[in-house]
Amino acid sequence: MNARMFAVRVALPVLAVAAISVEAHAADFDWKKFQGKTVTFLANNNPVAQALLTYKDDFEKLTGMTLKVDGYQEQQMRQRLVTVMNAHSDEVDVFMTLPSREGEQFSAAGWYADLTAMARNDVAKEYDPAGLSQALLKAATFGGKLTSMPMNIEGPIFYYRTDIFKKCGIEKPATIKDVEAAAAKIKACDSSVTPFVSRGLKPAIAYTFSNVLHNIGGSYIANGKSNLCSAKGKEALDTYSRLLRDFGPPGVVNYSFQQISALYRSGRAAMSFESSNELRTAMEGGARLKDTALMPFPAGEAGQVPTVIGWGLTVSSHSKQPDAAWYFVQWATSPAVQKKMALQGIAPPRPSVANDPEYRKWIDEEPVRKEWQAALDVLATKGSSEVGYPIVANPESREFIGQAVQDMILKQKSVDQACADADKALDALIAQK
Amino acid sequence: MSDAAATMAQGRQRLELSALSAPAVIFTVAMIAFPVVYTIWLGFQSFSNTGKQSFAGLANYSKLISDNEFWHGLWVTIALYVLSLVLQLVFGIWLALILFHAKRLPGIVRSLFISPFMMPPVVAGMMWLVILDPSLGAANYILQSLGLPPSEWLASPTWVIPTVALIDSWQWTPYVALIVLGGLQSLPSSVYEAAQIDGASAFKTFQRITLPLLLPTIVTAAILRSVDLLRFFDIIYITTQGGPGNASNTLNIYGFRVGFEFFNIGYASALMLTLTAIVLGAVLAFNRLRGAVAW
Repeated sequence: MNARMFAVRVALPVLAVAAISVEAHAADFDWKKFQGKTVTFLANNNPVAQALLTYKDDFEKLTGMTLKVDGYQEQQMRQRLVTVMNAHSDEVDVFMTLPSREGEQFSAAGWYADLTAMARNDVAKEYDPAGLSQALLKAATFGGKLTSMPMNIEGPIFYYRTDIFKKCGIEKPATIKDVEAAAAKIKACDSSVTPFVSRGLKPAIAYTFSNVLHNIGGSYIANGKSNLCSAKGKEALDTYSRLLRDFGPPGVVNYSFQQISALYRSGRAAMSFESSNELRTAMEGGARLKDTALMPFPAGEAGQVPTVIGWGLTVSSHSKQPDAAWYFVQWATSPAVQKKMALQGIAPPRPSVANDPEYRKWIDEEPVRKEWQAALDVLATKGSSEVGYPIVANPESREFIGQAVQDMILKQKSVDQACADADKALDALIAQK
Repeated sequence: MSDAAATMAQGRQRLELSALSAPAVIFTVAMIAFPVVYTIWLGFQSFSNTGKQSFAGLANYSKLISDNEFWHGLWVTIALYVLSLVLQLVFGIWLALILFHAKRLPGIVRSLFISPFMMPPVVAGMMWLVILDPSLGAANYILQSLGLPPSEWLASPTWVIPTVALIDSWQWTPYVALIVLGGLQSLPSSVYEAAQIDGASAFKTFQRITLPLLLPTIVTAAILRSVDLLRFFDIIYITTQGGPGNASNTLNIYGFRVGFEFFNIGYASALMLTLTAIVLGAVLAFNRLRGAVAW
């Protein structure tokens, strides 16, 4: 890592995080400072925003501001955002963002307001910015600028059926090889269930594949070049695609979280590697509550390097009222609101909330929730936010990762051919400015 | 009033009417022209991954020639277009003949026949996605109940185009049938009476009278469906997002992803303008055909 890269990737984020860790909230902080103003929030209509917006009235009552919500599904929200930001419009004050996906890109495009100073100087006494996950704050810091505040913490985790494991005489898997061995045993022992399911839909693959790659010890980039054709990269491609091809459901190449959760919930999958956010959906109806165990994805040669990401709230750089917009961001990511959201199953990005007695009581109600929280604790401490290539064109890089995996699932290419084609395309992306 | 005065009054009246309607006309023309002109302008621009813009001349269009994904998208678009159009025209005419001859068919049954095209494509896509799910869907359950092997439907690179064509045909065949039914009802009865007197069979009557007389209507239906089919987007976006791999990546889906997911608005504009040219070409060709078959 050269000096410049060190400064950008390590030193500046650490400094930015340290800067907001300073106890420096304004003594005269007044929630009513922007009374009468209207803040427009471009929301992704996912469970995180849905839980947050349950308390919209509380925000309006507390601040005297009006919150105008412009809500869409994830992809449509990004379309709207691209249009608004390319037009330099001030129509949107606050928007939701995934730093692991678009952070580099939006930051380079100048779409994020710099929140560093606001998070240091303009905070309520109870806000406690230092109490937010340092890993997520670091992941949201680009070029030394803090660009968003974390709303939740999430990542892919391993769901498995204890009853099927018991019936087939299988121990809890400790390594990736154990997962494959367990899948083979289940296939022989109970042909009515799908042994293993995870994401096979092209743009969605990077989310789960990255965890496998990192556990095996691979990396996306080495010496400024795409690294999928390294021994570890090929092993990861081979392992992930083999698991899905040999033990996954038919049609797995069209599987994303909806199909995976539906299959697991219906009792027709023995192991599922899917987002922690899907706990509620997978447990819906209660059929899986008593026969499911959860943990981070089993270790590879490099141990457990789980993927951890979180949705963030950010202020648009084109907002004409960034200070008022910041008040909404601050309220939405405050300990009090995040505790309320946590009780609705949104994993909190604050250790203090995760240890709150009321939240712990909710967690302790079901063993599966305890395991879920334990898995999230591992994600929070050991996790990597690298989902796809850490480059400006990250969303496009996910296409090529997904293509390589799909080519192998569908037996259209050998691992050498798939990784070589992907590396060629990805090297071109890396070279782009 | 003299002729000259009358002409002057008429001229003034025309001027007044023109002045009154001018704002609406200007507004409408601007609303149509602006997006087109803006897209043409965008097609000459280059956008970096961070949205930075610069003039690129014809670079976006020359990139099309060497872009394998563009040629693949074109092939997928044409394959899907031809297959869907043939299915919809054949079954649309067949359904129209059933509705035309089954005079006693209850209104509710007629409404059911034509109801699919009233469903939003997103809903139709979601519905078929569930039905065709290889593990949980009803389609494979039925196949297996009949002792037939299950299919991967939308997840198979081989079957994805025929499957999407079937979904679209399920939705839009009734629309074609309604157009053809209108044509059937307007055919002159005298030629059928003459055919009956001459002892023509039902098939001969259809082959020699109905079909030739219906051709202008069928071509009109083909034009209307061509415009939609060449811009195929919604059902694919809902069901496969262009996959598996890039097996159903039509030009429209490709352009959308290039523009809105990868931020290359300039290249996406060039792609979309090329697609517009293809649609226009198809419409013009069918219009010529319509002229040739008019009676």
